[in-house]
Parts: sequence; C-alpha cells; structure tokens
Amino acid sequence: MREPPYKTVLKPYGQALVELARRRPEIVCLGADLTRQTETDLFRDEIPERFINVGMAEANMIGIAGGLARVGHIVFVNTFGVFCTRRCYDQIAMSVAYPALNVKIVGFMPGLSSPGGPSHQAIEDVALMRALPNMTVVDPADATEVRQAVAAIADRPGPVYLRLKRGEIPEIFDASHRLDLEHATTVLGEGDVDACILASGMMVPAALAAARALNEHGVSTSVVNVPVIKPLDAPSVVAAAKRSRVIVTAENHTVIGGLGSAVAEALAEAGVATPMRRVGIADVFAESGSREYLFAKYGLGTRDIVESVWRALAINRPLPDIAVPAPTPGEYSPV
Amino acid sequence: MAEVSSLRRLAARIRLNATRMVAIQGFGYLGQALSSAEIFAVLFDGGVMRPRRDRFVLSPGHYVIGLYAVAAELGLIDQNELVRYGQDGALLEAIGTERTPFVDLVCGSLGQGLSGAIGFALAARLAGEDHRTFAFISDGELEEGQTWEAAMFAAHHHLDRLTVVLDANNSQVDGPVTSVTTLEPLVAKWRDFGWHVAEVDGHDVAALSRAFTEPADPDKPRIVIARTNILGNMRAIPRTADGHFLKLDPALRQAIENEIEAALA
Repeated sequence: MREPPYKTVLKPYGQALVELARRRPEIVCLGADLTRQTETDLFRDEIPERFINVGMAEANMIGIAGGLARVGHIVFVNTFGVFCTRRCYDQIAMSVAYPALNVKIVGFMPGLSSPGGPSHQAIEDVALMRALPNMTVVDPADATEVRQAVAAIADRPGPVYLRLKRGEIPEIFDASHRLDLEHATTVLGEGDVDACILASGMMVPAALAAARALNEHGVSTSVVNVPVIKPLDAPSVVAAAKRSRVIVTAENHTVIGGLGSAVAEALAEAGVATPMRRVGIADVFAESGSREYLFAKYGLGTRDIVESVWRALAINRPLPDIAVPAPTPGEYSPV
Repeated sequence: MAEVSSLRRLAARIRLNATRMVAIQGFGYLGQALSSAEIFAVLFDGGVMRPRRDRFVLSPGHYVIGLYAVAAELGLIDQNELVRYGQDGALLEAIGTERTPFVDLVCGSLGQGLSGAIGFALAARLAGEDHRTFAFISDGELEEGQTWEAAMFAAHHHLDRLTVVLDANNSQVDGPVTSVTTLEPLVAKWRDFGWHVAEVDGHDVAALSRAFTEPADPDKPRIVIARTNILGNMRAIPRTADGHFLKLDPALRQAIENEIEAALA
C-alpha cells in the first residue's frame, strides 16, 4: 500500500475496458451522451463498431442493453450514477436484473464527488442497486482496483453496478493488490483492536488516514476495505467486528441502504453486539460545491471518522486535532 | 403463406382458445386476444416470421394470452396447458415473465419492448446475421416516453430489419386511449420519426399480410399500425363492456363461443 498524498492517474477504467474489449469480441459499450466524461471516448475511437451512443435516453439504453445481453453480448452501460440508477430503475429491474443478464452498469461521480448539486449527486445509488435481486454492487477504492474490476465484473455472470469516481483517480494500492469480488480484506492493522473502520470507494483513503491518526493517538485501529457491497462478505465483516471494541462504517453515500446498512444487517443476524457508528450522508440532499467543501460539510472527512470512533469508544480525552493536508494538483488526499 | 381463409380460421381459433382460457376464472385479458387475433395469426402462420430464425418481442405482457392461443393451435405448446392459464403455479402466467415459453422477450412493465427489440436488431447487425426482429406493441404504451426514445433510435440507426406491429385498439385501463391522451395522428408521428408506416384494418388478414411484406422505404424500420377493436367486433359482447379486462359470465361465454363457432362452421 502507498502513502498519501497519492499519485493520480487518468481514465484507468476507459483504458482497461478497451484492453479487455480487444480480447473479448462480445463486449459492447453503450453511452448516453457523456462519452468523454465516462472515459469511453477511448472505446469510441479504438473500437467504434462496438460503441453505441444512445443519446440522452437512459431508459431506452437499458432496454437495448438487455436485448444485446440476451443474445450473448457483455454490455457495459456508461453514464453518471444518478442517471443510470434513479432515472431508469424499473427498466433495470425488468430488463436487466430480473432476467439476470450480463449488463454492467457503470455509474460515474458517486455521492458528493460531483459538484453539480442534488441532480448530479448519486447519494442513494448503492441502496437502489443493492435492493435488486441478482445485482452485484462494486465500489472500488482506487485506480488499481478499478483496472481489475473491469475484467472481474465481465467474468462475473449477471448484472453488476460499478460505481466510479470521475477524473483523477488515486493509486492507493500497489500493483500487487488484488481486487476480490468475494472478499472484504483488512488493509491496515491486525489482531484485536480498539476500532475497526469498514470503508468502500472514495472513503477508503479517509479511513486509512483516520486509522493512522487514531493509532498515533493510542487507539489501535484497523481498516477493512469493502469494495463489494453486495453480495457482502458477511463472514469477514463479522470476524472484524468480533476482534474490535467498536466498528465504524464509512461511505460516500446516504447512511440508509448502503455499506453501513449492509454491515448492520450482517452483524445483527450474526448476533454480534459490537457498538457501531455509520459515517456517511445523513439522510439529506446536499448542494453544489467542490469535493473538499462538500465532504467536509456533510461529514465525509477524515476528522469525521476519527470523531465517530472517539465517541463510540467514549474516550474521555479531548478529540485530537487531525491535520488534513490540502490537495495539490495531480495528487489526491482525502478531505 | 397460408391462405386467407385459413388465416381467418386461425384467428377464430385464437379467439375461441382465449375465451375458454378466460372463462375458467371468469375475467381477464380476453379483449387483448380479440383485438390481436388476426395479428398473431398472420405473424405466426402467414409466412411473416421465419420460425427459429427471426426474433419476436411481445412488449405488452398481458397479451400473452393471444400468444398462448396461437401457439397451442400451431403445436408449440400443449393444448392441455391452456386450461391452466393464470392458475397458481401454471406455466402460462396471465402476464408474461421470464418463464414464458417460445418468445424471445416478453415485458410486463409497458413501453420497454421496443428497446429490447432494438438490442436484438443491433446484435444481428453486429454479427452480420440476416434475421429479422419483430416487436408487438400496443397503443396505450405509446404514452410511455421510452417508446419514442426507441423510435428515434431505430430510425437514426437505420434498423431496416426491425418490424413493429402496433395493436391500435384504443383501450387502456381507464378507458379509451383517446379519453386519456391524444396519440393521433399516429401515422404522421411515426413517419416523422423516420419510419416506414403502413396503416391497415387489423382484423383484415390479407391487408395485414400485405403490410408486413410490401417493399418498405430503404434503410427504415417498419411499423404496421393495425386499427383494431378491443371487442374483436363481436356482436355477442355488449358495446359497453370493459374491453381491457373483460368479465365473462357463463351466458356471455356461450354467446361468444356460438358466434365464433358459427364463423368456423
């Protein structure tokens, strides 16, 4: 694992998709007018015969994807996360999820990573997709996982929702890191700890920064990376909770229906009573603004995770002042 | 192609099968089979679709009653299955599902079938295959915007091996489509969306056959707008009956069967 600030790369998804599609002639790429924004301009330029811009017609796009998949194609559908979940939910349910077709829905700009306000912020996309039978939900943490996720979801039969940050993507993990669609993995800390932070997607770097700060202040903390929200690796989640005095989930998503809910369900059914807190968007619509501003305002920062652990453990000492470095161009640091 | 008289007889048999299927519970989607009987007869036995080559999409899933009724006549399903239509655990569900046999795609949530058919047509083009895709849609689902998204897409991409048949029976749950939303002028709408349009009496098997087979404008998808009556123009059914979801008491059932059997005699 690398140290922050993280080096960033551009278009790891777009490049990985083209590389995979060159070897896999059954892959077709659909878009809804946001070609460059979804990194699929690479696909359009390299493999134009298998690239179809459906236009701003997400419902139609999902139906077409279902038809193509029904006769043997693996279809990658690309647009912003809000538009490929909220806007065409019945179409996904009936034309993709119910028949369990090989349609991979790729939603960009998760949670508050979009500056565009509530119309462009997919804050409940995981909850919506998680509720659909047959659907796999993947929220990768960095460019290394994104690259591996493309082939992994193509190989996984049935529908998948892949949630991708747009723009500069950090490289948190080394090339030796393996994304595993079956397992949540402990990426920091080991053994019995005071606190365990379970995080997905863009909250993984913040979870790592929070854990390092907590460890420095005498609170032993581990981090479990949960790239697959559904099906959740419940055994690993339960095992992590049993080795920790408290657990905190961290997600760039509403606290309803996403990672925190999935973890709570797993722990409750396993009879594990480890105290738990959820860091995420507190059941509100947000507003326009920069990622730094929104993550800080809506409680998705490193300090929010630290505070959540601190309160869960009922530590009597004052909350430590955690330094959060300002991002520099070309680098990525959690808020 | 089957003779006109034999297609008429098949349409009558479709009506008879559907009447007997709906009679078991005493209510159901009989009107849909009555309005579409000639369409199903011509599509499946009129030399329009090539079996095991062309693809068929049924967008309004509650029309599967017509599909079952024709399939039983053509030996595609066991006649004995018909009497279990709509019963708990039956193979033949009242609204089509993924379990529905011998259809490439059936939808239940309206307005989605044409998009799926476009997926089939694109896949055939990508594979360089010559098969055609047929999509059956209904007029009520033209109220769904997705239909028009799909209509624009198909014309833009010149999907000339895609054929739509529209059962324009002017019926939806709340009453006549004309009382809910103005869809007309349908011919001009589809033509302006870039389609080859044929408008026919949907109960005239010869006219339907011609509409499916006449030379179309090159590079355009084709739509056959079949003007139909939700009660199948049957004298036995009161004009005031709710065609979308017909109630069928034993007397009405007998009257309908008598009228159909007289036509078959």
